[in-house]
Amino acid sequence: MNGTVPARQLLDGCAAITESAIAAGCRFFAGYPMSPFTGLLENMSRRLPQVGGHCLNAESEIEAVNMALGAAAAGVRAATGSCGQGLALMQETIAELALNELPLVIVNMARNQQDYFQATRGGGWGDYRTITLAPKDVPEAVEHAQLLFHLADRYRAPVLLYGDPLIAQTHVSVDVAARDFGQLPAKDWALDGTSGGTGHSRQIWTWAMGKVSAPGPGPDRHWRAVAAKFEQIARDEARSETHQIDGAETVVVAFGSAGLFVEHVVDELRADGHRVGLFRPVTLWPFPGADLAVATRNASRVLVFELNAGQMLDDVRQFAHDRGVVRFIGGVSIHASGLSFGPLLDAAPIRSRILEATA
Amino acid sequence: MTEAPRLVARDRPELILGDHGLCPGCGEPVALRILLEVLEELDIVRRSIGVVGHGCYGSFVQIMDVEVLQCLHGRAPSCATGIKRVRPGTVVFTMQGDGDMVNEGLQEVLHTAARGENVTCILLNNGVFGDTGGHQTATTVVGQRTKTSLDGRNPETHGYPIPVADLAASLAGVCYVARGAVSTAGGVARTKRMLRCAFEHQLAGHGFGLVEILTMCPTGWFVPAGSGPDYLTSSLEAAYPLGELPLRGHA
Amino acid sequence: MRDEVIITGIGGQGIQLMAKTLALAATRTGLHAMLASDFGGEMRGGPSQASVVVDDEQLRSLPILPAARSAVVMHHKHSAFALDRLVPGGLAVVNSSVADPAAIGDAEVVAIPAVDIARAADAPNAAGFVMLGAYVTLRQLVGVAALGDAMRELVPPYRAQHVAANLRALDAGAGAVLAE
Repeated sequence: MNGTVPARQLLDGCAAITESAIAAGCRFFAGYPMSPFTGLLENMSRRLPQVGGHCLNAESEIEAVNMALGAAAAGVRAATGSCGQGLALMQETIAELALNELPLVIVNMARNQQDYFQATRGGGWGDYRTITLAPKDVPEAVEHAQLLFHLADRYRAPVLLYGDPLIAQTHVSVDVAARDFGQLPAKDWALDGTSGGTGHSRQIWTWAMGKVSAPGPGPDRHWRAVAAKFEQIARDEARSETHQIDGAETVVVAFGSAGLFVEHVVDELRADGHRVGLFRPVTLWPFPGADLAVATRNASRVLVFELNAGQMLDDVRQFAHDRGVVRFIGGVSIHASGLSFGPLLDAAPIRSRILEATA
Repeated sequence: MTEAPRLVARDRPELILGDHGLCPGCGEPVALRILLEVLEELDIVRRSIGVVGHGCYGSFVQIMDVEVLQCLHGRAPSCATGIKRVRPGTVVFTMQGDGDMVNEGLQEVLHTAARGENVTCILLNNGVFGDTGGHQTATTVVGQRTKTSLDGRNPETHGYPIPVADLAASLAGVCYVARGAVSTAGGVARTKRMLRCAFEHQLAGHGFGLVEILTMCPTGWFVPAGSGPDYLTSSLEAAYPLGELPLRGHA
Repeated sequence: MRDEVIITGIGGQGIQLMAKTLALAATRTGLHAMLASDFGGEMRGGPSQASVVVDDEQLRSLPILPAARSAVVMHHKHSAFALDRLVPGGLAVVNSSVADPAAIGDAEVVAIPAVDIARAADAPNAAGFVMLGAYVTLRQLVGVAALGDAMRELVPPYRAQHVAANLRALDAGAGAVLAE
């Protein structure tokens, strides 16, 4: 198997994302085991050498992301990841990647939805943002993985896939086909040694001061340019989906796996005559605020359902057509093991909460 | 007929693009010069990638005509790992101070060494965090005064320095570890030979190499610029003996 | 044609292997499948449950099924998850060697004394495969041969000595249904 696309297989999310990444040309991965991300490391470890790539079981999360940074600096499509706790360790390096304008795909195979702030507000330093895609199930994670490699290269930035235990561990029969998102410029900025001694040797530095023989923009112009780039991305890359939104008096907002469950419940409730619909942000950043405003234009209730104490809630309040009708119907809900979702992520309780809020 | 005396202090390889802005008496520019001379002599400049950490030497990224990734404090060996794995035909080295490598980055360098990554790590060791104003590091020697050990490093309260080269030399995967000093003309020449040896090992694919270079920091040591070499000899060199270290990690 | 089944029992890995065998067999025969699992933290003795959805078209399913057409109950302990979500009149295949079929409410109950059948087939560890053989025969989902092929793919090399016994168990389970 040399990067050829396998026939339909029964794959869990970690295996499916691995295949999708390989189809996108990912040839370097480094990671540190941590549930439920470990499956991604295991799959990469097995598959990358088979396609001429490299996978390192790094000795820490900080080392993993810095190894991946090095590979990205050398012009190779690279990835890393962890769960939220490990991502917490990587925050400084994510900022470094953004300010170095290095592409990298980072997977937060999270334990729940409590890392929304971490993903969208970032915990690094400086002015940067992180494009974040939140798939609702394994098939969507397969699409998002390839799209992220394209976006990372297109914008020269670290980008994030927000996964969760259900995506990591649910097996689905999938066909992983390579997708073409269009031409990208060559990576002439990447390090390969060849410009050494020319007076114009390549330099990757967050302060971008260049060499005395070929000065760079310096931190002021460089960081302003990076900030402007993210403003552009915010305008161009927001993505969302609606389900049964026409004529909805109640709009439920949910992301990731929660979105999948709400979609199912919305169908049930519509069948019972309730005028309810779903708005699902697909990019957590840029948050699809303009789309949300349109979708909630006629809603008398906007209910936010997320498995945390209210994080996306802030963004919904900021962008919903009428901030006054926004209510939170989610909550922290954790599996007894601490490693996955608790009983709130289930059709019946979600249905109850929506009905309670619409009574 | 004897040659007219020639001031060599102004000589520098073409790979150095401009003046450094470091203190008079600083040893780091000497280390940079011999490093670049070695890259030139081995004819590997057009294949080399340097990963430079944070410290006074960080400013070298503007004056060295070599491809450079400037990276986070301590992380250079990890970045070097990523680069070398995907571009094995390049020559990859790190340049790190003692605060960078032995404080922040101790696990990075030891893990990279243990993995036997085919890179060359270069430690500029002056026993002090120069760039932040002269604070204690993990290599500050007992008795050495710094801004956070004003009465001299005291084992009872500050513990003991870490000889990272000795730690590296104990790991399998390591092919070359040497310690030099740029405090004397002879030391400069010997250190340059160590660097050359380390890069030759990398070219031959033998595994991980570490060259520790003791450098003068008269500002951080509270001594006059001209007294740096003597202070180095009497303090750092006593704690960190010079020479090629025997490798204890191999079967 | 769409089928949903929730399988419950006590951990180890038996439940998970049963479910994965079913899902993989479906995939290999050209169907679409989803497999979701949940188990407690303990290596032995805790709850183990898996859900499998099979369809001949591209399927999108919740990994935590709100309702299922079928339940396979290996043990009375930890069976609530499957039985609470079984649709009224749904199929409940019960390992009657251990669990009491009479205790199950509004369902079409099929009792399979799987542990006894497994022992009789000289496959004492393979009660789960007896149940699986019975289940696919009742639901006409995939053939027992497809299950056997999937099982062979899934059994790790250090357990290869169990393959023959597992095959016997699958056949015996199917036979137990056909005999009725």
